[in-house]
Amino acid sequence: MMTIGPVHYLVLGAILFTLGAAGVVLRRNAVVVLMSVELMLNAVNLTFLAFSRFPLVQNAPMQGGILQGHVAVFFVIATAAAEAAVGLAIIIAVFRSRTSINVDEFDSLKF
Amino acid sequence: MEVNWLHLVPLLPLIGAAICGLVGKWLPKGWLYAVALASVLLSFCIGVTAFSNLEGENPQIHELVYNWFAVGSLHVDLGFTLDRLSGALVLVITGVGFLIHLYSVAYMDDDPGYWRYFAYLNLFVAAMLTLVLADNLVAMFIGWEGVGLCSYLLIGFWFDDDAKAYAGRKAFVVNRIGDFGLMIGIFVLFTATGSVNFAQINAAPLTLGLASAAAALMFLGACGKSAQLPLYIWLPDAMAGPTPVSALIHAATMVTAGVYMIARLSHVYVSAPGVMAVVAIVGCLTALWGAVIGTAQNDIKKVLAYSTVSQLGFMFIGVGVGAFFAGTMHLVTHAFFKACLFLGSGAVIHGLYGEQDMTRMGGLRKYMPHTRATFAIATIAITGVLPLSGFFSKDEILAQAWHTRAFDFLTLTPSGESHLTWLGFVIYAVGTLTAGLTSFYMWRCYLVTFEGEYRGGTDVHPHESPWPMTAPLWILAILSVLALVLGLPESWARALHLESFNWERFTDGMFAQVRGGPPREGSLLLGFGIAWVVALFGGLTAWTLYKPGTSMTGDERFARAVPAVHRAFVNKLYVDEFYGWLILRPTWRFAKALWHWVDATLIDGLFVNGSAQAVEWTARSARRFQNGNVQRYAAVLAVGVAALVLVFLVRG
Repeated sequence: MMTIGPVHYLVLGAILFTLGAAGVVLRRNAVVVLMSVELMLNAVNLTFLAFSRFPLVQNAPMQGGILQGHVAVFFVIATAAAEAAVGLAIIIAVFRSRTSINVDEFDSLKF
Repeated sequence: MEVNWLHLVPLLPLIGAAICGLVGKWLPKGWLYAVALASVLLSFCIGVTAFSNLEGENPQIHELVYNWFAVGSLHVDLGFTLDRLSGALVLVITGVGFLIHLYSVAYMDDDPGYWRYFAYLNLFVAAMLTLVLADNLVAMFIGWEGVGLCSYLLIGFWFDDDAKAYAGRKAFVVNRIGDFGLMIGIFVLFTATGSVNFAQINAAPLTLGLASAAAALMFLGACGKSAQLPLYIWLPDAMAGPTPVSALIHAATMVTAGVYMIARLSHVYVSAPGVMAVVAIVGCLTALWGAVIGTAQNDIKKVLAYSTVSQLGFMFIGVGVGAFFAGTMHLVTHAFFKACLFLGSGAVIHGLYGEQDMTRMGGLRKYMPHTRATFAIATIAITGVLPLSGFFSKDEILAQAWHTRAFDFLTLTPSGESHLTWLGFVIYAVGTLTAGLTSFYMWRCYLVTFEGEYRGGTDVHPHESPWPMTAPLWILAILSVLALVLGLPESWARALHLESFNWERFTDGMFAQVRGGPPREGSLLLGFGIAWVVALFGGLTAWTLYKPGTSMTGDERFARAVPAVHRAFVNKLYVDEFYGWLILRPTWRFAKALWHWVDATLIDGLFVNGSAQAVEWTARSARRFQNGNVQRYAAVLAVGVAALVLVFLVRG
């Protein structure tokens, strides 16, 4: 049976991050873009946890990894929640004025 | 003698100018006149006090007001010296100045800018007093530029008339050419002597080269200020100013500053005999030139202006042949009779409501007895008829020119012979011819203006001027008679017990002696006789041509006899046109080319608009990146990060 090591987690995180980034860049629906951002954040979270479980530092202070990665993930989750709330509120406000959530149409912020 | 009150002489008119200029508009007219007149009168009184304190051998009153600045070896003080020359000039400036202020009260009363006028006039008196009292070249230069400024302001006094504003500008620019020379001359003198103080400069030994350079450069300044060839062209145009200004600035005082400066620096000039010869020749040519043009002018003020140019030429002959006392004496007498003539012409212009064309005058003796009488006296004085002041001062200059030894030094050969003895005589001959012309054009002016029948419009009623105008006329007329005591030959003066007034004795020891030695002895009576006959001949010619009742005026006869010459004279010998062709047009073209190529094309086009266009062009291409599409930004960001990561990975 194959042992699941840090590389597996990191490759999965990279795949998720790339999918998320592709979604942010390519999708037209603002809600989907927001979801893709969440995907990217979670890819990062996965990476944090992977490094927390398999620390690169020798002589880790405790058995089974270090806690710094977990703390960072908590921060990211909290920030992502706030970001989702603000983002959805913006999308609703934009939809009220433009009757659309197609990000291609939101290009008035230019010279 | 050191005193502490001499600075009041120029300071009082300066205060007067400040009051008139700053608050004059809101002062009652009477107060303003009182301030303007009182400041000059007080200054005159102080001048008289100072002058009467001059005693002993070559006396002077000196005041060191303060040390102005000291840089390295250059020490410049603001100091005033009143000696016999500057003292006499202070009296002339404040005395004649006061009379002209008084005259102006009546002349300028109707003008809305009267307060401005009196401020300028007071400022002029202050600057002129600074010029003559200054004990060093730098302080003199303040006065020199100050009078130039006032001259500019007063010529263009009625600046809403383009021609008058232009005349003021012309005077300023032409003077600037001269002042350039004067400044370089001051630098040369400082370099050569290490001082700018008159006393130290006059005492310092100078090499021929340095003295010649300084003298020639400063003579350029004198040419500008004193309207000599080739820079005289501004003076006739300066007649655009109010007539009292012409009398004070452009006849009596400012234009003689060049003569004063040369007399003040007599030691420098005698060290440069070549320049002395140039001064005398330029003076001689200018005298003739001005007189020739003056014979054909119809504007009464233009006649007097060319006459002034001509008389200034005489003064330069005087200082040029080494007779500094004769030049300065003519300066003083000329101040009296020319101021009288100018004020007389002003009274005529005033009485005819601004008419200046002599062909529309005539017969004014009936309407203006005082003006006519004083004008006649001053005319006799200027034409040099025995025994008025102009005769003695002008004849002294011509006699000195005839017998001068100033040019002998110039060409002394080993054998002791001189090759330039004829130069003095030529100058004398041309000067005598000029004196004849002077007599002719002045009598022409008098006859055409005051004799015969009135030729002006019927709607103009000529009238005599009020007393503030006629009183100065009479005082100046009397002075132009009395000033004869300055120039009486010594034997005559001794007989009349008037030798203490003799100008030559009075200024004895003030001026340097020319190196060629004192002038040769000449027959006094022969010179007098020739001068008298010449003056009479000129007057008689004028009488024949312009006497009342002639069917054809002299001008018409002249024009019919030699039309080309007459036209040239009327057009002032085309000097303005010549300068326009020689200097103005090339300068204009050069300026236009500069404007077109350097200013419009290079600076405006390439630097100013070019840089703006470069920025705009860059921005135009750069703005494509900011299209407002957030996804595009994100894509670019992602690609950028990926590229950076790749770079770091590859570089390890």
